[in-house]
Amino acid sequence: MANIALSSPGQRLSRWINQEHVFKLILVAPLQVLMWAILIVPTLLVIYLSLVRWEPILGDWTQAPFNWFGNYVKVLTDPRFWEVLGRTLVIVFFAVSLEFLLGFALALFFSQDRLPGKRLFTSIILYPMMLPWVVVGFTFYLLFLDRGPVNYVLIQLLGPGAAQPWFKEPPLAIGTIILADVWQWTPFMFLILYSGLGALPREPVEAAMTLGATRWQIFRLITLPMLKPVIIIALVIRALECFKIFDLVYIMTGGGPGTSTESLSLFIYRTGFVYGQLSLAAAMAVLLLISIAVVTRFAIRPLEYREEV
Amino acid sequence: MAETAVTTPTVTSVARPRLSARAWVGTLLRLLVAVGIAIVFLLPVLWMLSISFKPPTEWLEYPPTLIPKEPLIGNYTFLFNPGNPEGAIAVMTGAAEPVMPAFINSLIIAPVATVFSVIIGFLAAYAVSRFRVGGNFMPFFTLTTRMFPPVAFAVPLLVYYSAVIPSVIPGLRLYDTRLGLILMYIAFTVAFALWMTKGFIDGVPRHIEEAAILDGASRWRVLFTITLPLVRGGLAATTLFIFILTWTEFLFALIFTQRYAITVPVQVSHYAGAIGRFYGPQAALGILASLPVVIAGYLIQRHLVTGFTFGLIRE
Repeated sequence: MANIALSSPGQRLSRWINQEHVFKLILVAPLQVLMWAILIVPTLLVIYLSLVRWEPILGDWTQAPFNWFGNYVKVLTDPRFWEVLGRTLVIVFFAVSLEFLLGFALALFFSQDRLPGKRLFTSIILYPMMLPWVVVGFTFYLLFLDRGPVNYVLIQLLGPGAAQPWFKEPPLAIGTIILADVWQWTPFMFLILYSGLGALPREPVEAAMTLGATRWQIFRLITLPMLKPVIIIALVIRALECFKIFDLVYIMTGGGPGTSTESLSLFIYRTGFVYGQLSLAAAMAVLLLISIAVVTRFAIRPLEYREEV
Repeated sequence: MAETAVTTPTVTSVARPRLSARAWVGTLLRLLVAVGIAIVFLLPVLWMLSISFKPPTEWLEYPPTLIPKEPLIGNYTFLFNPGNPEGAIAVMTGAAEPVMPAFINSLIIAPVATVFSVIIGFLAAYAVSRFRVGGNFMPFFTLTTRMFPPVAFAVPLLVYYSAVIPSVIPGLRLYDTRLGLILMYIAFTVAFALWMTKGFIDGVPRHIEEAAILDGASRWRVLFTITLPLVRGGLAATTLFIFILTWTEFLFALIFTQRYAITVPVQVSHYAGAIGRFYGPQAALGILASLPVVIAGYLIQRHLVTGFTFGLIRE
C-alpha cells in the first residue's frame, strides 16, 4: 500500500503505539517488570535458600550445600517457633476482637441522631491510624513507664500497690502491645462500620419498628445481617495486617523480657538478620507464605463474591 | 480541606424547637460521652507532645502534669544539633544522632516512591478496568504483596540486593541506598495504587471514552486528555495515601539500611532504643515524624477506608 510506504518513521511509530494490543502491553509492562524483579525472582530465591544450608558468613550463597528439607524439619520441631506462632495468634485474636467490639460500639454511638459536633468528634478519632507504628509504640512506651502516667492514675485510684511493672512481666507486656494496637486500629473498624451503618437503607428498620420489634431485635435481625459483608472484609484485612505485627513489639519491648513477647515477624527477623541463619529464616518465610496463601484463599472468597456484585 | 469521613443523616431542624427537657439532658449526656471518647484517643499523643516541651526535670515528675511548667523547645532544637545542646538537656546526650539526614532521606524516598507507584498503578489499573488485562490473576497477585508479612520477602531480598544484583549489574548498589528502598517501596505499595485508582477509573463512564474514540482520538489521547483529568482528585487521594504508607514503613528500612539511607521511622527506633532517660528529644522526634502523615491523612479523610481496604469498601 502506497500510503504505508510513504509514511515517516514517526507516523509508523505512532500507528504502532496506538494498536490496541501494544497499548495494553505498555500499560501493564511497568507493573510486570516490577513484579518480576522485586517479587517473583526473590520468591524463587527464598525457596532455593530454604533448601540449602547457608549463612552469610559461610561465603557465596551459590556454593552452599543442599540440605533439602532439613531446614523445614528444624523449624517445625523447634518449640520456640510454635510458641511464637501461638503468641502471635493470641495477639491477633485479642487485638482484632477488641478493635471490632469497640469500633462497633463507637459506630453505633456516633450513628445516633441529636449529637452536636458529630463530624468533629469522628474526625478526632481517626488520627491514630495515620501515625507511624513506631511512634505509636513509643507513645505507649511513655505511657506505661514505671513512673509514667498510667501507673500514677492506678496508684491514685487503687492505692500504692496498684502500680505495675508493665514491661517486665510477659503477660502485662503483651497486654500493653495489644492495647497499643487496639488504640491505633479501633478507628479503622469504627470508620468502616460507621460508614456501613450510614449507608444502610432505613426502610427495613422503620418497618420493623412499626411491627413492634425491640431495638435489640432490630440490631440482631436487621442491622447485623445487612452489615455482614462489610464486617467480614474489615475483620479479614485487619487480622492479616495484625498478623504481621513487628514495629510495635520492636519498639515497646524488643521481644523482651528475654524472648517472651516476640512476635512471628520479630522472630524471623532475629533468626535471619540478627543471628544470620538465613536458611532457617527462609524456611520459615516459605512456610508462612504457603499458610497465608491457603488462609486467604478461603478468607478472600466472600470478598471476590462481593466484587462481582 | 475539612472533608469529613462520612455523610451522616442530619437531624431535621424541624424537631428542634419542640425539644423537651429530657431530650436536652439526653443530648448533653451524649455530648459528654463523645468528649470522653475524644479525650481517650487524644491523650496518648497529647502526653507525648507535653513531654516534648518539658525540661528533663519534669519528664518523670510526680504527680505528672499535662501542661509543662517551664515549656521549652530545647528538645526540638536538640534533634537537629545534638552537639550543642541547650540548657539542662546537655546531661543526657548519650547516643543521640542528628536527625536531619533521616528526614532528608525520608523526604526523598517517600515522595519519589509514591509518585512512581501511583503512575505504575494507574496505568495498570486502567488496563485492568477497561480491558480486564491479566484476568483475575494480576490484581490478586498484587494483593499478595500486602497479605504476606514483609519479613518473608525481606529474607530473599537481602540476598538479592547484596549478592545477586551486584553480580548481574556491577556498580548498582541497592543495599543501604535510597534507590534500593525506593524500588522496594514502589513494589510493595503498587497494589494499593492499583486498587485505589481502579475504583476511580471504574467510576468514569465508558461512553465518554467511546465517543472520543469515534471522533478519531487515539487510545493514548483518550487516556491522557479525557480519563486522566476526570480522575485527578482520585489520583491525588491515592498519592497522599501511598505517601502515608511509604513514610511510615519501618521493617524494610530497618533491614535494608545501615547508615546512609536510614529513614525517619528507623531514626525513631534508634532514639527509642537509646539507653537512659532521653524522653524529651525522643518525644519531640515522635511528634515531628508524625506531622507529615497526619496532615496527609486529614487531607484524604474520606478516602482512608478505601485505601486501607484496597477499594473493597468505598464511600
